[in-house]
Amino acid sequence: MDKGLLAYLIIPLFAAVVIPFAARNRPRLADVLANVTLLAGLANLAWLALRPSMIAGGFADIPGDGFSLLLVAAIYLVALCVTFFSAWFIEEGLPNRQAYYSLILVSVAAMTGVVTTSDFFTLYVFVEVLAVTSFALITTDESAGGIEGALKYFFLTFPASALIIVGLSILMMTLGSLSYENLRIFMSSDIPSGPVTFAAALMLLGFVIKSGVVPFHAWTPDAYQGAYAPVSAHLAGIVTKISGVYAIVKIATLLRFFDGRATAVSEMLMFLGLLSIVVGALAALKQTSFKRMLAFSSISQVGYIVLAAGLGTPLAIMGAVFHLFNHATFKTVLFLNSASLEKAAGTTDMDKLGGMEHPMPWTSWTSVIALLSTAGVPPLSGFWSKLLIILALWESGLRTYAVVALLFSIVTLAYFMIMQRKVFFGRKSAAAESASEVSAPLLAPAVLMSAVIVAVGLLFPYFYTYVRVVAERIIL
Amino acid sequence: MNSFAMEWYLITLIMFTGFYCMLVSRSIVRQLVGLEIVSKAAMLALISAGALANNLIYAQALLITMIVIEVVVVAAGLALLVKNFRLHGAADIWKLDSLKG
Repeated sequence: MDKGLLAYLIIPLFAAVVIPFAARNRPRLADVLANVTLLAGLANLAWLALRPSMIAGGFADIPGDGFSLLLVAAIYLVALCVTFFSAWFIEEGLPNRQAYYSLILVSVAAMTGVVTTSDFFTLYVFVEVLAVTSFALITTDESAGGIEGALKYFFLTFPASALIIVGLSILMMTLGSLSYENLRIFMSSDIPSGPVTFAAALMLLGFVIKSGVVPFHAWTPDAYQGAYAPVSAHLAGIVTKISGVYAIVKIATLLRFFDGRATAVSEMLMFLGLLSIVVGALAALKQTSFKRMLAFSSISQVGYIVLAAGLGTPLAIMGAVFHLFNHATFKTVLFLNSASLEKAAGTTDMDKLGGMEHPMPWTSWTSVIALLSTAGVPPLSGFWSKLLIILALWESGLRTYAVVALLFSIVTLAYFMIMQRKVFFGRKSAAAESASEVSAPLLAPAVLMSAVIVAVGLLFPYFYTYVRVVAERIIL
Repeated sequence: MNSFAMEWYLITLIMFTGFYCMLVSRSIVRQLVGLEIVSKAAMLALISAGALANNLIYAQALLITMIVIEVVVVAAGLALLVKNFRLHGAADIWKLDSLKG
């Protein structure tokens, strides 16, 4: 456990315990407490990583491996956007306001635990805590869709946990301990790595299911579509990325794919990543529900991260880490905008919407920024991470993979353009006549995230320095 | 490592029994039972690994934590099951098809 970041785990957990008692008779106090906790954490993190002396020194003194710090920042950023959005989104009638914020804060604590831990068993514990909070959050509004999504999530992630446990036990038997460091040392020695690689492959299989990579993606669109609107932003933006994709990137670096150890696992992971990119993008093309299309797009973007993690060269890991962060920013904007649409127009069915740009200009243009970033249009942040990934593929001689990844970046642009034309541009529909722009507090998170997307894209040299420090530390 | 094969054959057998149970049953409750069997096999694997590596104390410590977590997860799953039953009046997995596209 990285002790420097422990406070980011304990404080939200403490707030989660306090909220139900303090806000028992005053539901609005729950909003305030949750937002203040996350905002304070974020301000603290910004000071830790972005103070001038730190930037001038090339981020050489960041604590830990830097990867944890970056992801903790992403977790707090997304969670703050979601809680701020929820504070104005939740109708007065919803009975469980306190429970809702408590669960969000527990999931923040669990995610922080996942990214700061340094052994596999703790990782497993926090991933399970995260899964339980996700089931409860998905069913917040007790709709039929939410319960169905949560059940499918449950039935696919639980066997994944069993596979992770079997992987853990084989690892314990062959390695004698479960810490990351031991695995790293073992993999850099010359001892034949058969059983250890097998154990790691079992764990990877579990995490691949948990992150919704293609052959195991059945739960992802249902859970995202059925979930309560702000929760789907939380889930797609950060929860599944931390509970699945983070662990994949971590194990990929520990197995030292770039040394040519565990080649079979590396190739398998890259193939699954590519399959995800292709299937996710093609399925997104023909969706009619806005949220479901975003879910398939999420599968496709996770494919890029898994592809880069499977390649495992330092440049690819940089791309993966960077894309993980970018994915959190742009997917949060898109899902929050879909929630705004649901509130303003009462539906997210793309066939019933149209011409929403006229009543909702802010929602429309933040969506444009986010979708251009997802598709990798310069100078937005998504362009740089995809560039790094494709360059890494090309450099390693995997030309076919690089070309396919590039082509499906264009397909990404295609399905988002179809979405934008159907929902925001084009002829005014009946829904657009009666709809009006949502209030300013509901727009603020999307605008903030769009600003982050543009800022990270434009200030790429600084961010590149940071990500390079991260990649160097986690690989060496 | 002779005892290795025997124990792990059994564990694999139990695990695939669980998966088979999940595969063939239509009722969500039966699927949950299948899941439980799978996760019990995984726990047996852990304790067996601890015994084989002469590290039983460590394995037991992990296992107790794991049991606690598993109880929480199963409780959450059962709550979902009950909610679903109240909504549909049935526990049939094939009726969960309102979300598609």
